[in-house]
Amino acid sequence: MAEIQVRGLTKTFGKAAAVRGLTFAAPAGQVTGFLGPNGSGKTTTLRMILGLVRPTTGTALIDGMIYRDLPKPRAVVGAVLESTGFHPGRRAADHLRVIATANRVRNRRVDEVLDAVGLADAAGRRVGKFSLGMRQRLGLAAALLTDPQVLLLDEPANGLDPAGIAWLRAMLRGLAAEGRTILVASHVLGEVTQTVDTVVIVSAGQLRFAGPLDEIGRTGAELESAFLKLTADPGRHSVVAYPQ
Amino acid sequence: MLSLIRSEFRKVSSVRGPWLLLAAGPLIVLAGIAGLVQSGANLQDPATQSKALGHAGLAAIFALVFGILAVAGEYRHGTITDTYLTTPKRGSVAAAKLTVYALIGAAAGLICSGTALAMASAFWAARGASFHLSAADDWRTLGGAVAANIGLAAIGVALGALVRNVVGAVALALAWVAVIEGIIGQLIGSGLARWLPFYASEALDNANITGTQLLPQWGGGLVLLAYAAIFAGLAIVTTLSRDVT
Repeated sequence: MAEIQVRGLTKTFGKAAAVRGLTFAAPAGQVTGFLGPNGSGKTTTLRMILGLVRPTTGTALIDGMIYRDLPKPRAVVGAVLESTGFHPGRRAADHLRVIATANRVRNRRVDEVLDAVGLADAAGRRVGKFSLGMRQRLGLAAALLTDPQVLLLDEPANGLDPAGIAWLRAMLRGLAAEGRTILVASHVLGEVTQTVDTVVIVSAGQLRFAGPLDEIGRTGAELESAFLKLTADPGRHSVVAYPQ
Repeated sequence: MLSLIRSEFRKVSSVRGPWLLLAAGPLIVLAGIAGLVQSGANLQDPATQSKALGHAGLAAIFALVFGILAVAGEYRHGTITDTYLTTPKRGSVAAAKLTVYALIGAAAGLICSGTALAMASAFWAARGASFHLSAADDWRTLGGAVAANIGLAAIGVALGALVRNVVGAVALALAWVAVIEGIIGQLIGSGLARWLPFYASEALDNANITGTQLLPQWGGGLVLLAYAAIFAGLAIVTTLSRDVT
């Protein structure tokens, strides 16, 4: 059982704090929603968990280890980040083969994940021609390639149509039911209530709430009013948006 | 490490840009030799023959730009995130890229040398002049061109990792080659200028284009190797602690 533990995580860019003393856990077998307004430090936190951004203080552990120390990180963790890009001239299947080769995953698995995300027909097309929704699916395919126990997703519903969102929800529920740990950063609250078990709410880089979704509202309206109340006052400290 | 190297090869081979860029090398060699013959140079003079073959080294500028795409290109398209998720030990990524780009640089250098040899022989034959490839000097020119392609590809990889912006790194590299190094060379005098990277690669090419005082060929090769090592070291050290946003 691999869980994500974030302990006292802080990141400052220059004088501005993006994340301040954040502590929470995402347990295995559940979908944890990581909620907060734009610029509240969600993406920075995900990047610190993944070893892309170095924390100023604090640690983020996956399965008890920091990402960099995992012997085969991709075998444990899959991630779809907003800024994860694709070379526009590379074919979808080639994009996945590059990752498969580096991770010693057999090539047949590329076809399996393309099939799983509904891109089997687009395998030979260059990614530059893809819609935003198709890119999201390809990013998810790349994350699933290594069959990881832990999944981190940043705004995965972006660009998906209603059918795509329903498909994503079913997929995440299915993956959690298999005992995987899933952390989904989002600000689309209506979607969250149907997908997540636990919520972590941040604002201005600080924790505002962590607990079962039931505790703050089962319906979209209840969650929204709780969310707005919790994130209303960003405090006196200045907070920066995540630098792009 | 081997799977990482294979993955880097796959990255290069699955897009068209690098191949179009490297294809420009042999075309420049072809055009350069044609120009030399058209200009009415004395084809019987061994120096003309050597100058013709020296065009293979000029094409190394494309290897430099090709190398820049290795890391800066990944930043441009955002694929660097995926690369570091697979291999959080970033020094290994740099080592794999340096290996792959040096190997492809070598292949590009060999192709340019082969093109130079074939084109020069053909032009010489067409003009009824005899082309002697007996001189050890000519082989050194062709070998130097391969080495220069390897060295500049490696410097390109390191430069792209330091600057992380394709346009910025390419502009800097080309401005350095075309203008900046020449100006610095004049300021410090040719005794010191021959230690600058592009003068060193010119010495390695065994083709004196700018007509200045150069290091011996082996010296040029060592100096270029030292520049590649320094740039690569700087690139790795800065890459290790940098946030990838």
